[in-house]
Amino acid sequence: MTSLRSVLWLCARYELVLAVRSRWLQTFAVVFAGLALAVAGAGYILSGGHGVQDFSRTAVSLVQIVLLLVPLASLVFGGLALTPERGAAELLYSQPVPRGAILIGRMLGVWLALAAAELIGFGMAGLVVQTQAGLDGLWRYGALVLTAIAMTGVFLAIATLLASVNAGRRTRVLAAALVVWFMTVVLFDVVVLGVASMLRSGPASRLLISATLVNPVDAARMGALLAIEGTAAFGAASLALLRFTGGAGMAATLVVLSLAAWFVAPLWLAVRALSRADI
Amino acid sequence: MIRYRAFTKRYDGRTAVDSLTLEVPAGSVVALLGPNGSGKTTSIKAAAGLLRPDSGDVVLGAERLNALDPRARRACSFLPQRVSFPETLTGREVVDFYRRLREAPADAADRVLKFASLNGAGERPVGTYSGGMVQRLGLAVATLGTTDVLLLDEPTAALDPDGLCAFYGLVEARRRAGGTVFFSSHQLGDIERLADRVAVIVEGKLVAVLSERELAARLADRGVMRVRLAARVGGLLERIRERSPEAVWFGDELVVPGSASTRPAVLDLVRAAGAEIRGLTAQEGRLDAFYRELIGAES
Ligand SMILES: Nc1ncnc2c1ncn2[C@@H]1O[C@H](COP(=O)(O)OP(=O)(O)OP(=O)(O)O)[C@@H](O)[C@H]1O
Ligand SMILES: [Mg+2]
Repeated sequence: MTSLRSVLWLCARYELVLAVRSRWLQTFAVVFAGLALAVAGAGYILSGGHGVQDFSRTAVSLVQIVLLLVPLASLVFGGLALTPERGAAELLYSQPVPRGAILIGRMLGVWLALAAAELIGFGMAGLVVQTQAGLDGLWRYGALVLTAIAMTGVFLAIATLLASVNAGRRTRVLAAALVVWFMTVVLFDVVVLGVASMLRSGPASRLLISATLVNPVDAARMGALLAIEGTAAFGAASLALLRFTGGAGMAATLVVLSLAAWFVAPLWLAVRALSRADI
Repeated sequence: MIRYRAFTKRYDGRTAVDSLTLEVPAGSVVALLGPNGSGKTTSIKAAAGLLRPDSGDVVLGAERLNALDPRARRACSFLPQRVSFPETLTGREVVDFYRRLREAPADAADRVLKFASLNGAGERPVGTYSGGMVQRLGLAVATLGTTDVLLLDEPTAALDPDGLCAFYGLVEARRRAGGTVFFSSHQLGDIERLADRVAVIVEGKLVAVLSERELAARLADRGVMRVRLAARVGGLLERIRERSPEAVWFGDELVVPGSASTRPAVLDLVRAAGAEIRGLTAQEGRLDAFYRELIGAES
């Protein structure tokens, strides 16, 4: 049997080619680059053409866009890409390689494609910033790029799970992807803040701390802000977490662990579900 | 070889295949015949390792591995009934991907593309292919490896005469090489040309396993001959009914049901009566009636 590594690579490359030719991905790349450029340029215009937006400030302004757009694109594009039509799935999974290897390989291919699209956007915005304000704070900008790519992986893992649980039913995968996006990006924070406001301060801050770690969007936000701004621009939840962990190092570790768990667990469940499914 | 042992599959409580026990020996070509929804696809997909049986199992290849074992799939290639491919890939890219996945040699890609007469269209995206071309591409992929077992679900459904011919040649070559071919079809022509044996499945149950000749004979027994005459001839029908009791007039046409072997005698009677024959057709028995009869015999 073909070695597992080469199966993964083969499937990743196959999916990468498909993704690059997909209208969805091309659209995402254009929209993302457009927004990133707009943010980078806006700082320059708002400051009247001299108080130029440097890398750190651009990174801060981009965090919100990344947190909204990256999960959406990963869930929707990943979900659709990883839900092959029945006739395609039957042929694919009748090949002499484990189903899980095909699935993970293809997921990696989508990840590469989305990451490339994001890098193009970040790169173009980065060029604008660099010509106006030099390389100051470049590593902070780099931290945001890393966060975006990590988040892409996390939400692709969730998309992979959605795709393999709803084998072949694209509409259901799409609906589930939108529900997950709305819950993690919008609803979760609203509910948590609502509940916390009704609690006394002790339990409320414990709730906020766990919320930051439980929701991958909050964890990513926390991670990005920690890297970009240190502790300067924190909200209540992040401050609570920082107090709880007693330092940025520990907080960062927990954030990374949370994201890693959100990457590994859905993939593991997806492979398990797929290996038991009727194709 | 392929062996089904009491293979049963249910979907949402409804039984699609009910305790199928069947062996397709190595080196033979077996056709799976049955009406729509009778469980052909379900049976073939189980051999390709795509479905978990509710009970029983399917083993295949020289090593008799369970079909669910990925290693068993090294010994078999499967062509789905409605095969499809990503529309933006070219035929060659598709073939190349599967070739690498199966670790087939590099020249296999050209060989199968040529076989599928896609050497002109290989560089075009699959989205621009016709239905028959997609089917040919599916066959090309299914024949990439030199596997023991070929599982083909209605491989000829969209093929033109040229494609059929190429396909028949391919199955013959597999048979000569000692391979096993298990395919489903609604086309009696395929079965006549290819199959050593025919397994008939109706409503999820295996109702008969016949040789190709037995099937042909049984269908011929249920055939009908129509003889159009210039005009009715008095007394002829009565004489014919001694041989074929269900014969009737239909206008100027004599309709004579019954086996092919009675037909020459009937024609002799017509000629002896001095009637002028204007037209003559004979039709073999139809499969639908044959299926009904087989279930009738079961219950
Ligand atoms: N995924 C599925 N979910 C629910 N029922 C199914 C599924 N696949 C098949 N069935 C049912 O199982 C039965 C057998 O279907 P199958 O596809 O095996 O028939 P078939 O003999 O291949 O028919 P055809 O000649 O139309 O291809 C049918 O009643 C069908 O409705
Ligand atoms: Mg079928």
